[in-house]
Amino acid sequence: MKVSGHVLFSVFLILVAGYVVYAASHWSFKTGFFPMAVAVPLIVLALAHLLLEVFGAPEKAGGPAVEAEFSNDVSPEVARRRVIEVFSWIGGFILFVYLVGFPVAVPLFIFAYLKVQSQVRWLRSMVLTAAAWGFFYGVFQRVVRLQFESGAIQFWLGL
Amino acid sequence: MFDALIEGLFLVLQWKAFSLMLVGMGLGFCVGLLPGIGGAATLALMIPFVFKMSPVEAFAFLLGMHSVAATTGDITSILFGVPGEGLSAATVVDGYPMAKRGEAGRALGAALMSSLVGALIGAVTLAISIPIVRPLVLTFGSPELFMLSVIGIACITSLSGLSARGQIRGFATGMLGLLLSTIGQERQSGSLRFDMGLMYLWEGLDLVPVLVGIFAIPELVDLAVRGTSIAGDRPAENLSRGVMEGIKDTFRHFWLVFRCSAIGVFVGIMPGAGGGVAQWMAYAHAVQSAKDAKDRERFGKGDVRGVLGPGAANNSKEGGDLVPTIAFGVPGSGAMAILLGAFMIMGLVPGPDMLTKHLAVTYSMVWTLVIANIITVLLSLAVLNQLAKVTHIRGGLIIPFVLLLVFVGSYTANGQIADLIVTFCFGLLGYLMVTWGWPRPPLVLGFVLGKLVETYLFISVSRYGFAWLAHPIVIFLIVLMVVVIAYPFVREKPAWVGGGD
Repeated sequence: MKVSGHVLFSVFLILVAGYVVYAASHWSFKTGFFPMAVAVPLIVLALAHLLLEVFGAPEKAGGPAVEAEFSNDVSPEVARRRVIEVFSWIGGFILFVYLVGFPVAVPLFIFAYLKVQSQVRWLRSMVLTAAAWGFFYGVFQRVVRLQFESGAIQFWLGL
Repeated sequence: MFDALIEGLFLVLQWKAFSLMLVGMGLGFCVGLLPGIGGAATLALMIPFVFKMSPVEAFAFLLGMHSVAATTGDITSILFGVPGEGLSAATVVDGYPMAKRGEAGRALGAALMSSLVGALIGAVTLAISIPIVRPLVLTFGSPELFMLSVIGIACITSLSGLSARGQIRGFATGMLGLLLSTIGQERQSGSLRFDMGLMYLWEGLDLVPVLVGIFAIPELVDLAVRGTSIAGDRPAENLSRGVMEGIKDTFRHFWLVFRCSAIGVFVGIMPGAGGGVAQWMAYAHAVQSAKDAKDRERFGKGDVRGVLGPGAANNSKEGGDLVPTIAFGVPGSGAMAILLGAFMIMGLVPGPDMLTKHLAVTYSMVWTLVIANIITVLLSLAVLNQLAKVTHIRGGLIIPFVLLLVFVGSYTANGQIADLIVTFCFGLLGYLMVTWGWPRPPLVLGFVLGKLVETYLFISVSRYGFAWLAHPIVIFLIVLMVVVIAYPFVREKPAWVGGGD
């Protein structure tokens, strides 16, 4: 997984930096200089990394990067399924917010997540949802007075 | 001067100023805990309330709030892996893994105590340096500030693996961060870059959705995958003992805390160096201070030194920030620019008057920083037991609430749905980077420093051509940069020479 990840991300970096070089070459010197000055060495570095990964000897430890590690207590199949699930929930929440706006999406999402994903009992789900909505309304809408856009549905209905 | 120092203390301790400071602290405490709503934004919101206050009361209120937000931001970073403040992101890297290991109390104790030490060092620096700092600030022009930013980027060496490939990965992701910072309107000519035809991107990517996405989402995904609480199945730590251990850690590594505080003060004093830089430079310095490769491996996996360094720098920076603001009216950060507005409202002119006629008011600010931080840390220590219990609640119950904080926090950046999409995209990027073994901290460092580097480089070249490279301070900083890059390798020479690619 790690080896293919190294290769894939190298390719991703080459593509990104390549696009930057292409775009910057059409700009004035002042606008394009800095992105170009960063992208060209990035292509070189990513290419060198890709070649080392594909043709070089296996990497020896030289002190790992400062980075967190995910737990590996769960089997890869279960982990993959749960990753897709949680990203779908996050994507769904954003879609909810787009369609109905934050004030409506928050209680809907929290209740749905607690009931469906976490399988919390009805009463507990409702109490926790009410608490979350109270916090959201009290802190963000009343105290901090954040302005939340209405959702697309309210817009379509002219509400 | 001593009389003014004492007078400043009594001014803050007057019941009205003290009460307002407590109110400000209460607000700052809550603001610091909520991701995305930064201290600077809250300062701006509170400015209209200071019109009827005296200068001492106004600064007690505003500074009390601002300094506390910097401290409590660490609490959210440690407990949930969500940066409470944009600047608290470096605390996530080691603080959250400590919470996952069941050491939330220790991490919180260390963060709070190092924040207090940092704040005190910042306040003392502010008290003694105002009269003498003028030559230092005036010596630093664009070339020197450019080199300072480049030194910040050189810290990537410390955040990457020591093997050749590890270094490539570190620098490549750092460069990706630099490229991300170029999105939006180019500051010199006003041309648009990589805006994809979206008006949202004209101002560039905001720091909050990027940081919150890249750090918080992967941790939430991991929590969902594990299906346990944040601390897993580990037995609950003895919180009092854990907190005490964290406090002791601060003094065990006092020299590191002191050095990181000094980094925070220095970055704070330099106008325009940016608050986020201080934390990351301090974090990189903490990593560089590891004894050897084995010791270095602990960073990112929950090393208390990774909490102490950024915690101290984050708060010492506040004292440093105030130095150029008070002494010359040159704000060191966005928050200080807003505070400058308060000076104008109060009819005070930053500059020599603040060091002579209004010296007592100046020292009242020093005392506010000291008193507010002491009270906050004591109060936080009192409620830590309850806060740390959060790490033992089932993940399935925590995730929707943290997601709510994450996305509302991101939404505060521009108030657009696009903020949420940016958070999601960077969450996905962060997840893939961790899964595939590419480090995120260099990307964040590059992103934070990118705009500064480009601006200062442009001004330096426009004004001096390439002659700025011969400025004495620039030469000194170039040498310092080489030392920063070479230090980890020199220290690890035997292992690196034998074990590299």
